[in-house]
Amino acid sequence: MNRIKIVVSISLLFLLSQPLFAGDIKGKVKAKGVKHSGDAVVYIEKIDGKTFDVPKDHAKMDQKNLTFIPHVLPVLAGTTVDYLNSDEVLHNVFSPETCVDKFNLGTWPKGQIRSYTFKKSGCIPVMLCNVHPEMEAYVIVLETPYHGVTAKDGTYEIKDVLPGKYELKIWHEKLKGASVVVEVPEHGEVVVNFDIKR
Amino acid sequence: MNRILRLFAVTLIAVVLVEVGYAIPSFSRKYKTSCSTCHYAAPMLNGFGKAFKNNGYRYPAGTDPEMTKEEPVSLGSEGYKKVWPEAIWPSDIPGTSPLSIWGIGRINYAAMNDVKWEFEFPHEVEILYAGTIGENFSFFGELEFENEDNQNEIMYPFALQYDWSPGLHIRAGMVHADPTPNHLKLTRNHYNIASFRSRNRWRFRDEQIGLEVWGAGNGSGERGGYTYRAGVVNGQGINDMNKEKDIYGKVTYKIGGLGETGGTAGAESQTSEFFIDNSVTVGGFFYKGTASRAGFNDEDFTIFGGDVDYWYDRFIVNGALMFMNSGMPGIPERKSMVYYLQGNHVIYPWLIGLIRYEWEDADTDQDAVKPVNAFIPGVTVMARANVKLVLEFKMFLDDVNKKNDTFTLQMNFGL
Repeated sequence: MNRIKIVVSISLLFLLSQPLFAGDIKGKVKAKGVKHSGDAVVYIEKIDGKTFDVPKDHAKMDQKNLTFIPHVLPVLAGTTVDYLNSDEVLHNVFSPETCVDKFNLGTWPKGQIRSYTFKKSGCIPVMLCNVHPEMEAYVIVLETPYHGVTAKDGTYEIKDVLPGKYELKIWHEKLKGASVVVEVPEHGEVVVNFDIKR
Repeated sequence: MNRILRLFAVTLIAVVLVEVGYAIPSFSRKYKTSCSTCHYAAPMLNGFGKAFKNNGYRYPAGTDPEMTKEEPVSLGSEGYKKVWPEAIWPSDIPGTSPLSIWGIGRINYAAMNDVKWEFEFPHEVEILYAGTIGENFSFFGELEFENEDNQNEIMYPFALQYDWSPGLHIRAGMVHADPTPNHLKLTRNHYNIASFRSRNRWRFRDEQIGLEVWGAGNGSGERGGYTYRAGVVNGQGINDMNKEKDIYGKVTYKIGGLGETGGTAGAESQTSEFFIDNSVTVGGFFYKGTASRAGFNDEDFTIFGGDVDYWYDRFIVNGALMFMNSGMPGIPERKSMVYYLQGNHVIYPWLIGLIRYEWEDADTDQDAVKPVNAFIPGVTVMARANVKLVLEFKMFLDDVNKKNDTFTLQMNFGL
């Protein structure tokens, strides 16, 4: 009997942790004029009257083989990003953007982390390393947790979006695309494709 | 026929006399990284560039294979190590061409020349090649064409190096006898220590061919550390001009800053820039050689000296002092003293100001030979990571040379 209670309780907890009504947005982005269709961010910038809790877990950006990984990182405003140095060389992270107070985290050894909290939504600061000027990444600071980053083939997915009518936007570091109004169903998915170009 | 002979003679002389530069764009391609990863302002190395060199042109701590973005071509699989000596030890070569080009052009002004202004394009074109061969060999060489008073000089030195570990390299070919080599030089003007000539015209600046043992290691807490090198060279030319071999050596110790062989332990800081390496390095060097010259007796000379290199934030102050004793049969011994002191300041990462004071007393025991001293103020502009402009003035302070001031706008680019 106790076992049944436990199973039922866990199942209820699981169900309550998920939105009762939520749909997915998925689709494909076709990028013209660049080598691949990856690293575009499809997102709902904000939902009027709705705020979201900042995730307790920190987002992560690695510095490995003289590259920021990932190259683009969408986060909810208020999220702290941990920057790990995975290389046997010194790295730095700074941003020249005023919306992140032109922060500069200095330099730190392999295996160590320094962090920065991104507070201002609507800000897309570039991340640079002043030891290796070829390194570059972007953090996209949003008011909602509804965002997806395209794979190299252009596919993306945004899961568990509250039902409603939203403006779906797209960002790419070099290309531009028109935003689309999307109606997310209570269950199931909606497909939205984008064409982006210079 | 005379023309061919003349060209041949000029070429031979050039092989002996011309020095080389070190800035290797092919490393940028190999690792897909900017010049400033290794260079303060090419060819002058920053702290990491020295560590890269000290690892045998490899990334520190055995990470070179993972940092290499261009896959090398295998000349034998790893498994063949188990077959040796019944097979050739496995190796690899760079996946793409290791060739680079370094071009130098100048606008010159010399106050006392008949032609005061001139456009010297090119002054020099270097075809550089460098890289690694498998785990333990590396190479570095160049084919250089240089204008010298409308004569084309050609040189083609190279070095093959066995890299046992960062602490032990064995190098054959062009070696580092010069205590102030080009990879530490920011200016168009050479250090006076490198250009100072013995009585039979020997000087550090000329390429030295021979064998060298050298190495480096990190200091306490993986910061700073030591370097050493010792070698035996012809002294003059690819074919030695006398039966005596020259010997030389240099040791340095660096306090603070990036480890001489790299690594990131203990390097935590609130600031970082590719040109910052807060440290003090002190060094001592010697050279003992014999110089020959047609129509003169052989000259036996000994050089010893020391240098200091202090890096703090955007400033660098360095200097070197050299003493030379020269003996020739039948004439008095000559004692010389040469030194310089230089300061650099990074105004912006692309704009560096410098000033150097140099002093050269060819015969310290004879008042008849007046010392030469000069100021060299200059500005280095990194228009791009691989395009450098140097604006430099040389202002002599001594009475004999007072009006021989020179001014140069030098343009360099690397591909």
